[in-house]
Formats: sequence, C-alpha cells, structure tokens
Amino acid sequence: MSLIEYTQIWLEAFVTLSLFSFLYKDNPCYKITEHVFAGLSAGYYFGLIWHAVILQQMIDPMFDNGKWWLFIPGILGVLMFSRFSQKYSWISRLSLAFVMGNTAGIFLLSELHGKVLPQMQSTMLSLGFENGLGSFVLAVIVVAGVISTLTYFYFSREHKGLLGGVARVGIWFIMISFGAHFGYTVMARISLLIGRVQFLYFDWIGSIINLFS
Amino acid sequence: MTILLIFAYIFLILIGALLLYMTFKTDDRRYIYLAVGFYVIFPVIVTLKLPIMLSPEVKQLYDAVEALPDSSTVMLTFDYYPSTLAETEPMSHAALHHLFRKNCKVVTMTTIPLGGPSIAERVTRELAEEYNKVYGIDFVNLGYKANYVAVLKGMGTSIETIYPTDNSGTPLSEIPMMKDIENYGDIDFIFVVADNSIVDYWISIVNAQYNNPVGTGLTAVMAPRYFAYIGSGQMTGMLGGMKGAAEYETLLQKPAAANMGMTSQSLVHLFIIFSVIAGNIIFFMGKKGKSRKSA
Repeated sequence: MSLIEYTQIWLEAFVTLSLFSFLYKDNPCYKITEHVFAGLSAGYYFGLIWHAVILQQMIDPMFDNGKWWLFIPGILGVLMFSRFSQKYSWISRLSLAFVMGNTAGIFLLSELHGKVLPQMQSTMLSLGFENGLGSFVLAVIVVAGVISTLTYFYFSREHKGLLGGVARVGIWFIMISFGAHFGYTVMARISLLIGRVQFLYFDWIGSIINLFS
Repeated sequence: MTILLIFAYIFLILIGALLLYMTFKTDDRRYIYLAVGFYVIFPVIVTLKLPIMLSPEVKQLYDAVEALPDSSTVMLTFDYYPSTLAETEPMSHAALHHLFRKNCKVVTMTTIPLGGPSIAERVTRELAEEYNKVYGIDFVNLGYKANYVAVLKGMGTSIETIYPTDNSGTPLSEIPMMKDIENYGDIDFIFVVADNSIVDYWISIVNAQYNNPVGTGLTAVMAPRYFAYIGSGQMTGMLGGMKGAAEYETLLQKPAAANMGMTSQSLVHLFIIFSVIAGNIIFFMGKKGKSRKSA
C-alpha cells in the first residue's frame, strides 16, 4: 500500500468519524468536516460544469467544428444572470420561457405515454377467476386500492356517506404504503451505516494492521 | 459451534434489552444510536449468517439477463452519487459479474457528475481484469454528459452525437466495439443502477419510446415507488436496496459486500421492530396509569 493510499484511507476515516461524532453532540470536528464538504462540492461542481458543459458543449464545438449557432443557447444562459439586477431581471424570463416551453414539449409526451397511460392500463385488470383465486384476490386489492385512494384525493364534495367510507379505505391503503416506505427507508439508512462500518473495519483498521505487520 | 451461536444470540438480545431499558429510563436517544451501532458492528466482527430469501422481482431481473444471448450488447448505467455507494456499488458489481460471465458487450455511462464517471471507470476496470476483458472490444465507458433528458433522448438517434468521445477522450469512431452500436436499436438490454429519479426517464423515454427492456437496481428509499412499473411490465425486474443486491449476489453464487451486510440489516430491523412494540406498550401503559390517577 502506497503513502497516498494510506493518506486517502486515514482522511476518509477521519471524515467518517467526525460526522458520526455529531450523534453524541455538536463539536468542532463535525463543523470542519461539514464546511469542507460544502466547499469541495461547490468547487467540484464549478469545475465540472465549466469543463463538461461550457467547454465541451459550447466553446469547443463553436471554434473547432464551426457550430457557430451554439452562441444562441450561450446567450440565453448569460441572460439568466440578469436576475441579479432588479431593473433588468425581466430579461431572464426570455431564457426561462425557452426552458419551460422546451421542458413542457418533451415531458408532455413522455409522461403521458410513459407513465399515465401504461399505469392506467395496468390497473384495468380482469376480475375473473381464469387465472386462479390468488390472481383474483390480487386484482381486487389493486382495483380497490386505486379507486379508494383516488377517492380520498377527490375534494369537490365533503367526505361523508359512501364517499367518506371509500375515502377511509383509501387512507388505509395510503398508510400501508407509508409503512412500506418507512421500512425501506430504514433499510436504506442502515445500509449506509453498514457501508461506513465495513470501510472502517476492513480498510481503515486493515491499513493499521498492514502498517504494523 | 451451535452453542457458541446460541450464546451470541442471547448476548445480542440482552444488550438490546439493556440499551432499550436505558433509553426509556433516561429518555436519552443516544442509547438507541449505540444499540444500532452495536448491531451493525457485531456481525462484521463476529461472522453471523442469516438466510437470504429471493424476491420475485430480483429473480425476474436475473432471468432476463440470463436469457440474453451470448455477446449481447448491454448498457449499464452508474446513475448514483458516492453517498449511496454502500447500496448501489454491490449492484453494479453483481451486474458486471453477470454480464461479463455471459460475454456481453457492456457500454457504461452516467448522468451523475459527482463521482459517477470515476466510479464507473473503477468498478468496470476492476471486474474486467477478473474476466480478462479488453477495453474497446468488450466494454466501453462513455462517461458523463450534462442534461440527462437530452442525453437519453439523443441516444435514441445517435449515441455518437451525444458522446463524440468516451470517458478518456478517445473518439467513438476509433473504438472497435462502438462501430456496430449506433443507437438504442443496437442495445439489447439496459441495466440502470440509480439512486435518484433518473429511472423515471429511463422508463418514460427509453422504454416507452424505444421499447428497450429496462432492469433496475435502486436504493431502498426508492424501491416501493417503482413496484408499480414492474406490475405494468415497463420494468424488467428490480433490485431494491442492499437486500436486492444480496439476492442477486446469491443467485450469481458470488456473495460479496451486500451479503455481508444483510445480517446487520436483519438484526437492526429486529431491534427496531422490538423497540416500536416496546415503545407502544410503555406509551399505552403510561396513558392507562394517568387515566387511573385522574379518576
């Protein structure tokens, strides 16, 4: 293991332990790590955007390949900075209008064809027994879940009587969904902790053992 | 060995009960942190293994990749930040094991600027070395390009227009593997490993508009939302969090980081379930006691 690798592992271990130290209480190590992370991210993003967007997608194609028309999106991008001036902030609306129109055009089709219609289609299930009792029960749950949940989000009439009853069933479905989300979220957060513990045990402690052996 | 295991479990239960008792007694949540930390660290130091059950969505993804003919072209994405490596990297590892084992041509790419390109480079090179795969012939790393919607849509027409060069600056026209790959039409399967909503666009743009089968590896936080896409047939299987990765590793018979973490997962989950039940019992007992006093 080289000196650079040792330094990298020790630095990583210091940052990890500093962040975990907040669980006990706030302290200078945690603060330093938090600020270093914010500064590093900002610097990295600036460098990356400069390289991957401004240079690679605008300046290089303009000067190397003669795609002169790329100055138009470039100017639209520069216009966004007019938001910093109260007097000229209206100019940025030109760029925003372009972004909004473009985004709406792309997503209108993809959201409708890629999400809304296929999802609607997948809830239109046969409530027959041709695929067995299990499929029938699942189909009933899906159909009941979709209808009752949608009913819960119908606010044009007061949730009373039959409408109220169906909406209450919808709440149960939503609650079960929240429970599943909570369970998965716990798993996600514990996974991150496991990842750090595995790093500290195998890499960091491993490097210490390696150093003395 | 069995007696040692029984002692280990009794020890775990006693520690959990003690820390939970201390939490309720002192009202200090740091005992909970300590318990969670203990249950995570213990199985890493002392080897404890709990069985891993296979989920249908993981099996579906495994079967879909397994059914690909040898030498198929697969696009593998590294759409995740370094902060979720613990969940996502085992998925990328498992996917590459499977793809290289089947001699698939792998095109990797990322829509994540922070770490994505270097993670893709490191993981792919690591696995390629194990399977003696050659860069440019068996795999290519396209790297990162800004504006993911434009990237995803543009690759439907021409990958080379979006990525004139690979991650290290070599023109795609000079890479032998990319000579036969023009757009999504030349890609047999897309394996998306992601920790953000980019998956929506892989489904709503690439699957819906270009009919490419899309299988995913997602962080656990995202997983419940995407089950609907499996039901509708828009997604060909899914790995949900570390558990999904561990199941895929099990199917591949290549237990690695995710398998190692699953015992900690199970122990922490058991502790949390027990804490929720105990907390509720104590809450209701306290309520009952108060109402008796006021009566």
